[in-house]
Amino acid sequence: MTNRTATGPAVTRRTFIGGLAALAGLASVGTKVFGRKTERVFAQSSRPRQDEWVPGICNGCMQADCGMLVHVVDGVVVGVEGNPDFPTNRGALCLRGHAAILGLYNPYRVKAPMKRTNPEKGLGVDPKWVEITWDEALDMVAQRLKAIRAKDPRGLVSYEGFGDIRDANLRADWLRAFGTPNDIGTHGPLCSVHYASSLVSRQMPISVNDFALGKYVINIGRTAGYNFAAAGCSKRMADALEKKGLQFIDIDPRCGRQASKAREWIPIRPNTELAFLLGMAHVMMYEIQQYDEWFLKWRTNAPYLIGPDGYYLRGATTGKPLIMDASDGKAKAFDDPTLKDPALMGTYQVNGVETKPGFQIIRDGFKQYTPEWAEQITTIPAATIRRLANEFVAEARIGATITLDGFTFPYRPVSVNDERGTMSHRGGTYADLTTKLINMMVGAMDVPGGCQGNGQLGPTLRPDEDGVVPPFGEAVGVPFKFPPDHVDMSEFYPNKHTGPHLAAKAMVDPERYHLTYDVEAIHIIGADPFRTPNGPDTVMEAFKKVPFVFNLACFYDLPAEMSDVLLPSQHFFERDTLRALSRSHMNMDETTHGVELLMTRTPVGPFYNTRHPNDIWIELAERAGFLYGPGGLNDQINRRNPTPGWYFMGTALGPKYKLDLNKRYTLQEIWDRQVRTFFDDQYTLADVKKHGFIAKPQLPLKMCYNYYYVPGKETRHPFYFNHLKEVGDKLRAGLEANNIPLPGWENETELALSFYQPVPHWVEPPDFRSSEYDMFAINWKVPYLPSACSGLLDNPLTFEVADNLDPYDCNFWLHPETAARKGIRNGDMVVVESRSGKVEGTVILTERIHPECIGIPGFRGLRTMHQAQVTEKDFFFNQLISNDDTHWDPVNGGLNQSPKVKIYKA
Amino acid sequence: MRYGLLIDLKKCIGCNACTVACKVAHAAPPGVFLSKVLVEENGSYPHPKVTYLPTLCMHCEDAPCVAICPTAATKKREDGIVTVDPDACIGCRSCMAACPYGARTFLDEDPKPYFPGAAHTPFEEAVQARYGYRKGIVVKCDLCVDRVDEGKEPACVQSCITGARVFGDLDDPQSQVAQRIAMGDATQLAPERGTKPSVYYVGA
Repeated sequence: MTNRTATGPAVTRRTFIGGLAALAGLASVGTKVFGRKTERVFAQSSRPRQDEWVPGICNGCMQADCGMLVHVVDGVVVGVEGNPDFPTNRGALCLRGHAAILGLYNPYRVKAPMKRTNPEKGLGVDPKWVEITWDEALDMVAQRLKAIRAKDPRGLVSYEGFGDIRDANLRADWLRAFGTPNDIGTHGPLCSVHYASSLVSRQMPISVNDFALGKYVINIGRTAGYNFAAAGCSKRMADALEKKGLQFIDIDPRCGRQASKAREWIPIRPNTELAFLLGMAHVMMYEIQQYDEWFLKWRTNAPYLIGPDGYYLRGATTGKPLIMDASDGKAKAFDDPTLKDPALMGTYQVNGVETKPGFQIIRDGFKQYTPEWAEQITTIPAATIRRLANEFVAEARIGATITLDGFTFPYRPVSVNDERGTMSHRGGTYADLTTKLINMMVGAMDVPGGCQGNGQLGPTLRPDEDGVVPPFGEAVGVPFKFPPDHVDMSEFYPNKHTGPHLAAKAMVDPERYHLTYDVEAIHIIGADPFRTPNGPDTVMEAFKKVPFVFNLACFYDLPAEMSDVLLPSQHFFERDTLRALSRSHMNMDETTHGVELLMTRTPVGPFYNTRHPNDIWIELAERAGFLYGPGGLNDQINRRNPTPGWYFMGTALGPKYKLDLNKRYTLQEIWDRQVRTFFDDQYTLADVKKHGFIAKPQLPLKMCYNYYYVPGKETRHPFYFNHLKEVGDKLRAGLEANNIPLPGWENETELALSFYQPVPHWVEPPDFRSSEYDMFAINWKVPYLPSACSGLLDNPLTFEVADNLDPYDCNFWLHPETAARKGIRNGDMVVVESRSGKVEGTVILTERIHPECIGIPGFRGLRTMHQAQVTEKDFFFNQLISNDDTHWDPVNGGLNQSPKVKIYKA
Repeated sequence: MRYGLLIDLKKCIGCNACTVACKVAHAAPPGVFLSKVLVEENGSYPHPKVTYLPTLCMHCEDAPCVAICPTAATKKREDGIVTVDPDACIGCRSCMAACPYGARTFLDEDPKPYFPGAAHTPFEEAVQARYGYRKGIVVKCDLCVDRVDEGKEPACVQSCITGARVFGDLDDPQSQVAQRIAMGDATQLAPERGTKPSVYYVGA
């Protein structure tokens, strides 16, 4: 199949079959470069069995989507490289993938089941581990599980993390079978990035840049690839910047790897991204005033009339939302066939009340946000804000179309995209929503070139009865219930991502958070609730209070040190697996657009007395009595959401392949059923094993844009965010009915509820004007340790590079003028102190950072006595982040990741 | 035939995938980088310029290290790759003095284990045995001769996550690397030293 695009050469859509082709591909790369011939292939494949290359999948970051080839000689892994045929990384492999061999052979791994004998728990307290048998360990855990499940299954709290999330994909099924709602993503509070995309486009996890057809990107507080430095996303970014001529604007407090390659780096004062976005939207609404009017009128709810109560004004008889038809001055139902020209502006009297279109209300709300106002807050010059807004509108090519595979789309090759740096602040939800408004004003939403959801492809934009795209996932909102069921306070933070920080506070102070049941056990899989959110103190207290902690552990990290029983988990090289490819969090282009595949690993080892986490769960479910029968683990696997391409949780089983509820299956038997379902019986697990991965025919490019499935006037994106208001009003009603303030916000409940308004507005960050804490501390991912995956914190190779080669990756960044003012010199040790804690490190003076910032790179610190001591630079940034609920975004639950600090010489 | 490398500095983001790929491919001892990326900052706020400069052995056409080696431990292969035979190296370090690029490292001790306080891992044992690391010899980038002999690219080239490196035969005008160099904007490091490096850079 071939697609022609209006802007580029023919794009070939391929069918991929991995492994054997990949092995041949190793030599065929050589063939291309050196002119050597295929005898090399045969020489290679005729080697004795003890020297072989086997397919692998890297787990070195949360994306975990790079195909590997692993060189095994006499049972020892002696090398690894990217699989040239794998569609994401195409032969490349980042440093983490290479260094991961040392994770496999880390002598400090958890090598056998262990039992704590020292009842005292804490950082630096030796648990005095004693080795036990698997039987003993599993029985200990199963007995606890049985008792908790009989009493109140909510008493089991699970923490999961990126360390294992991709391979350990029976977790959610297992917890549902157990019956607890407390399945907590530990990575959540600094990754609370899902709300607006789930609301506006029904896209979970987020929205990304379209590097296939996009031409101009404003990227604010996010990595589009280079800062994350995984192979696939970086290759696509390099192609976009260097081959396709993408104009890339990076707004960030520091000039990192990505900004250094951007067309332009625009430094911004941290925590003020929302003000920049409001200022840019103001310029578009009050100065430029060139919109994609067709899109706003027919493809959003911007023209819906809003009543005095802040909700849609509805027809008296139909109950349908009304739109003012400018052609005849009549208010009509949104789907009235006589509707000719939906009014975006104006004030009207309808049914005896004053009403305005949503667009007018938002425009009125943004009147105060002039670029001069935004300059005062962000330090970005007003002229720069104006210039960017003008460039953005001009580059949007409003009115242009593009035909892909015979289907004509609007073509809007621009987008504004944001992520953690913009959203993990109080006000971050409004900032993310404002990016959506900006994109929608030029029609750049889910069309070629524009802002792309990276969730499900298909008819996800189908409207609800009001004609609008309905919210999805976290945007729906957890119903209010009092007292709450969820230990992570989902009932009080109905739209939040995940709440390990909230769960810890509730466990420590159940009265304040109205937690009415006892947490009896904590289950950990690949997670680090101590290091990932903010300071560890409250979590530590919670772990000391809960009577039993069991951990499917690979390394002796802090969660292991705080556990009672360790069930040793395999390293990823040792794990057999079957996974579907997730769409990239960073960017997408024609090489990965519409690629659906299943991939596997040929495991090596296991080298120690370890097991696959999925196997451990099946075993525990059987011993604790929830594997079989209706509602058991088998049944939960049967009931998986059959949505194709749904993210990373594995895939569903077709009707023919449902599990017998009363039979115990091996993982391979379950995977085989998944493969047969995924490929409609065309392939089996054995086929995937043989090839390493098998992909479906790549979707034609037109099917990679969700506009295609629900085109034209068939749906409307929310532009006026009435659903946010609705969730907030329900929360208010729930609190009032129970006569309680919002827990954690006892004196600030009104402030918390002010984040649920349908029109984004500026919210001053905590401590914004503090003169004592006069600086902002910022933190970012470095290539060595982007997230707590695969034991990178224990890896001597990653730290050898991070500590010795690039001084910007292991020292604290400080602007020379700020340093001069404070009497700090290059190489000085400084203390960075927030209201929550202190961090010490060495200063590197650099022009690459906003003068009000101290920049602290990477994810280090809180090393335990039983971990490999691979660095002396164990500074722990998250210690600085506030544990005060009122510092967080009450909608997405994000922590304030750029806390105010003071700095002084150590 | 002369193997060489072209590195596009516009694409290099200093992620050190190459550094670690090289390190793993050779199980280079702790503290030893056979290739690495240097970083340099110029300009002033808000327009700083960051340059990442990947470095490795330049596999010079007129390699002074080959000429000066008293035991012929350092040799140049017919395909242009400069290698060191660890068994023949006497650790006199004259090659280090002769190399304008600081591409060589003297091992002043036998390789320590990667993990402090532990033994060498099976990975280190297996791979280091191939390279004969020992106290008193000089080591350097061998352009992954083992891989090249198998028809593969060097590890730093294949691993590169932005595709910043092109490897090939500089003498073959049809090769991608030669064609790119023929465009005229490629530079070498310290060309005035007259060593004729086989590593070229563009995009500086």
